[in-house]
Order: sequence, then C-alpha cells, then structure tokens
Amino acid sequence: MGIEVQADNHFEIVTYPGVSEKELSVNSLRSIFSMRLKTWSDGTKIRVFVLSDDDLLHQSFSKERLNVFPYQLRSQWDRLVYSGTGQAPIKVNSAEEMLAKVANTPGAIGYLWRTNINENVSVLQIK
Amino acid sequence: MKMLAYSKLSNYFIASFKWITRHSVLLFLIGCFSAQAQEPNQAQKEPKSINTTTKWLQASETLAEVSESGNVKKKSGIVDTAAKWLRSKELPGDFQIHGFVGQSYILTSDNDVFGNSDAGGSFGFTEAGMNASARLSPKLQLSSQMLSRRAGQGTTATPRLDYAVLDYRVYSHETNQFGIRVGRLKNPFGFYNDTRDVPFTRPSIMLPQSIYFDRTRNLGLSGDSVQVYGEAAVSNLGTVSTQFGVWWPIVHNRDTEVAVLGKPQPGHLTREASYIGRGVFETNDKRIRLAVSGIWLNSDYNPAANDPLGPGSFQFSPIYFSAQYNTERWSLTSEYALRHSKYGNNFGTSSPLNGLNVYGESFYFQGEYRFTPKWEAILRYDVLFTDRDDRHGKRYAAETGGPAYSRFAKDITVGLRWNITPEFMLRAEYHRVDGTGWLSKLDNPVSKDTSQHWDLYAIQASYRF
Repeated sequence: MGIEVQADNHFEIVTYPGVSEKELSVNSLRSIFSMRLKTWSDGTKIRVFVLSDDDLLHQSFSKERLNVFPYQLRSQWDRLVYSGTGQAPIKVNSAEEMLAKVANTPGAIGYLWRTNINENVSVLQIK
Repeated sequence: MKMLAYSKLSNYFIASFKWITRHSVLLFLIGCFSAQAQEPNQAQKEPKSINTTTKWLQASETLAEVSESGNVKKKSGIVDTAAKWLRSKELPGDFQIHGFVGQSYILTSDNDVFGNSDAGGSFGFTEAGMNASARLSPKLQLSSQMLSRRAGQGTTATPRLDYAVLDYRVYSHETNQFGIRVGRLKNPFGFYNDTRDVPFTRPSIMLPQSIYFDRTRNLGLSGDSVQVYGEAAVSNLGTVSTQFGVWWPIVHNRDTEVAVLGKPQPGHLTREASYIGRGVFETNDKRIRLAVSGIWLNSDYNPAANDPLGPGSFQFSPIYFSAQYNTERWSLTSEYALRHSKYGNNFGTSSPLNGLNVYGESFYFQGEYRFTPKWEAILRYDVLFTDRDDRHGKRYAAETGGPAYSRFAKDITVGLRWNITPEFMLRAEYHRVDGTGWLSKLDNPVSKDTSQHWDLYAIQASYRF
C-alpha cells in the first residue's frame, strides 16, 4: 500500500492550502467529520475526505482525535445520506490519494500520518 | 411455487429497469442543476456532467443485470468500479449518487408477512433505492431519492418518490446550525424512522414493529413538509439537534387506510395539515443518545357515494422516547411510544370507529454486539399493546368476537449480521411472536386464519454504493 505507519502513530489534520482556518476546536472538527458543519468561517464549502472504515489511520483518527467510534461516524453519514439531509464524505483509497485530493481540492480537509505530509497541504491545529 | 417466484422476480426486475431509466431523467436534471453551481475555477469541467450521466446509466444497467443474475459477487467489480469512479470524481456542484438493493426470503410458521410467507416461504420482500444530491451553493443542498419496494399486498414494486429535499442552511457557526427544509421529507421520529428503508441503517431485517409499523409505512415514512432544523452545543457535554415542521401525510394508500379504518372501505382518507418534531441529545463521544419525538397527524375520511361510513375525522398523536448507549462492542437501545388515536363523531353511530379513543403502547429493548467489524449479533424484545386499557385483548374479544391475540404482539428476535465487504451485507434472523397485533390486514384479511403463537425466519442480502 505504500503507507508508512509511524511507530508513535502521529497523524495530523490537513487542509487545502487556501483554507483560511489555521486552528479548530475538537467539537468543530467532529462537526465537520460528522458532515453537519458544511462551510468554513469564510462561507466556502468544506469538502471532507476519509479513508476506508477499516483503515488503521481512519480508526486512530476517529477514536483518538474525534473520540468517536468509526461505526458511529458511519451511522451518522448513512443517516444523512439516506434521508436527504446531508452528504457522505469522499472516500479515498490511499495516503497518496488523500494527499493529492486535499492538495488540489478547494475547501478540502482530511488526515494523514505525519510522514506522508508535504508542503502542498496545510496542517490544522486542534485546540 | 419456485417457477411462480422466479417469473414474479423477473417481472419485478424488468419493472425496476424501466424505473432506473425513468429516474435517470430526474438525476440528469439534478446533474444539470449542479453543473450550474460550480465554482469559477472549475468552468472547464462543465461538459463532464453529461459524460457523468452516461457513465451512470451504464453503471445502473449493470446493476440491474447484477440483481437479475443473482450472482452478485461475480459482477460486483463492474458496479463497484463505476460507483467508486462516481464517488472519487470531483463532480460539479459536489454531485453524489448512492443507492442500495436488498432481497429477503421470509418464512413464517403461520400468518403472512410481506407476501404468502407461510406456504414454503416467500421472496416477496425486495427493496431498491437510488438517491442523488448536489450542493448548489455552500448553503443550499438539493437531494432526492426514488424507492421501489415490494412487500406483500399493500405494496407494488412501482417506484415512488421517497424524498425530494431543498435544504437551506440559514446560519452556521462551528457547532451551531440553523436551517429550513422544504419538499417531501423523511419523517423525523424515533431513532430509525428517517432511514428505515435502507437495509444498512436498520438494526435488523425488520424494524421493531411496535413502533415502526410496516403496514403503515407509506404514511410513516415521508410526507410533504416544511421543516426548520437546528443544532447547538450544550456546554461541553454534547449537542442537541431539533427538527420541527408542518407536514401533509401520505394517507391515500390501501394498507394505511385498512390499518386506520379497520377494513377496506369505499371512500378514502384525505390529508390535513399535521405536525412533527424531534429533539435528540448526543454526548460528544456519541456514547449516550436520547431523543423525544412527537407527531400530531390529522386526516379526514371522504366517503364514497352511498357509503355506510360518514365523513369522520381521525387524529393520531404518538409521542416517542428513545435512548441508546454505545460502547466499542455494545449498543443498547430502547424506545417507548404512547400512541393516541382519536376518531371523530361523524362516522355514523353504527360504526365501531365513531368516537373511538384509544391509547396504544409500544416499547422494545435491544442489544447489539459487534464480535468483529464484520460480525454482529442482535437480541431484542418488542412489545405492542393496541389498547393499553385492554392489554390482553379480552374486552375486544368480548365486544367484537375477534381474537384477543390480535390486540397485542410480543416479539423476541435473535439475529446475525455479516458485513462481507463494506458494500455487501448478509443478515439472518428469527422472531418468536405471541400475538398478531402488527400484522397487515391486507395480507391477513381473515383473522380466524391467523395464529397466536408463530415464528418468522428471514434472510436478507443487501448491496449498497
């Protein structure tokens, strides 16, 4: 798969470089990945990218950063998608794809192991 | 019996194929809308919206073939690839398509559920849906879902509009939101109603019938409505989400009318302005979820010429309390409903409906256990009392001569879920039921032919994209 997993499991939240937010509260981050908060503070669309539900990084991100089990995120997305009240995040299949999508999609947000981050994406600080 | 089932199945899939083609017009329109809603630096992507729809049509044809051949695993690669391509593409207006198909086999020891299930079992329960959504602007979303469902006498496979929503987000700041939704909206009550038609979002093949009656599904599922919704953080504990709206229920449906009026009548129910609302509190880690929902449904009976039944009114005002506790492996859920039905005085003094005032009671306790991300078991005890003042149905039997056991149902359910892949799910469950309180009268018109103690076995295969 070409994904390097750091021994200390460090990952970061990354955004498209043009996103004006440089830091975010945990509650806002959770609201974004729950697909309830849909716009940045400047009014532009947030586009959420995630890895597969059984991906190790996704699970670490969900449990450690959002403090929510992955199956609960999935339930939340399904409830929104199949009731017409929201959309699902866009699923990517690898760290390379996550990096490419977040670097090139206006308003994008995602997550990556620290070793996969380069200068094409911004790192978001979580308060 | 098998030949009949097969020819019914192939008729069904021909119908659904035609439906898919018809629905492509709606999705194409949404695709066109979303093409208008793109941001300036994506102007060169405009011609792709037409390409998208062609590719999607190809994907949906393949899906129809897949369902028909029954050999879903073999062909899933094509559909999966098409679906993945759709999902990964940055389509103008953030256009997304999702869908699902579910086919069940149901066998009952007695009584009919979703078709003639007590004579060798029935493949009579099929669900298929497709939805599309687009963000026309950062504040405006348009979504629509078509649904085709075959589940016994009260339904046909004819696709119907499940929902069509225009959602405007008036205010948004971090964890606080406020907005308006207009259109045909899913009815927000309980934990499971708004996504009850999707096999993946239900805890079992059949939802607890005491609260989510399948015989009045078309009424309960969605309605034409205007709703306001909001979400706010509650100090650092969690969030509260609320929805409240005015809705015009879909009552013009045989199964619903028989459920409300007791038996088929020559006239029809009409829809009147009704109200619905729900509030959900969730802790930040979503371990605890609590909800209160209420409905105030109004309908009038419109008699036919020479109708023995007069133009009475009907009001249904249930209130639901829901609670759920989640851990990594366990989810414990319970819901309780107090269901008030009130019939007016204009049905005619000879009708048993005249002035009828009944409080029904429903509740269930459910435990789900996730052995692994792929395997999950469920255990549930679901109780329905049609009249809380006559829980054993004895007074009903004395007054009408009908079976006492038709006024309650106690259902013990055991089930297993296998997530073969994130797209493919297999489910099996067993129900041991005492009582026929929630059976469809269209499927079981003669109550003498029903049995008090009965078993239901069900297997379901579902696919989603």
